[in-house]
Amino acid sequence: MKNTIKVERAKKNWTQADLADKIGVSRQAVNSIETGKFVPSTVLALKMAKVFGTPVEIIFQLEKTD
Amino acid sequence: MNRQKNHLSHRVLVYAVIWVISYAGSLFVLKSFALPIEVGIVLTVITALAFVVFTYKYYRNIFFMDEVQIKVQMEAIVIAFLLGLFMLMILGLLDLVIVLNKEDWSYRHLVPCFAIFYFIGLFISKRKYNIEDEKHD
Repeated sequence: MKNTIKVERAKKNWTQADLADKIGVSRQAVNSIETGKFVPSTVLALKMAKVFGTPVEIIFQLEKTD
Repeated sequence: MNRQKNHLSHRVLVYAVIWVISYAGSLFVLKSFALPIEVGIVLTVITALAFVVFTYKYYRNIFFMDEVQIKVQMEAIVIAFLLGLFMLMILGLLDLVIVLNKEDWSYRHLVPCFAIFYFIGLFISKRKYNIEDEKHD
C-alpha cells in the first residue's frame, strides 16, 4: 500500500511530530506508516484523513501487489 | 490530541530493575551462604512477586502504546518465545546424549537467555518497522 502522507504534510507544513501529536501516536509510528513499513488500522487512517481534510482513499492507495 | 507513549514507561523499567536486583540478589545469597530452606523459599517468593508485579506493569503499559509500538512489542515477545523454545528443545535433546554441566546449564542460567532473546526480538522488530529512523521530514 502506498500513501501520500508526506505530500499532505508538506501542504500543511507539518513535521512528523506535528502529525503525531494531532492523531495521538508517536513520531516513530508516523515515520513507520509514512515509509510504508506499517499499515495503520482503519481508525488511525480515518484520523489522518480527518486532520488532513482529505478522503482516506487519497492518502492510502492499494498497489497491484496488495 | 495527546501523543501516546511510544515506548515502555520509566515506571515499567523501574519494576524491571527491581526484579533483576531481587533475582540477582537472591542468586548471590543462596549460592554464597548455607541458609535454612525456609529462608531460601522466602527469597524465591520475593523474587517471584517482583517478577509478577513487573509482568503486570508491562502488560498494563501496552494499553498506552500506539499500534506500531504494540506490534513491535508483540513481535519481540514472539521471537523471544520461539528462540527460548528452540533453546530448550536443543538442550533437552543434548541432555539425552551428553552430560550437561549443571553449573553452566541450570534453570537459573536460562533466565538471562530469555531476556537476551527479547532484546534480539526487539532489535529485529524495530528494524522491520523502521521506528528508529530519526529523520523527521
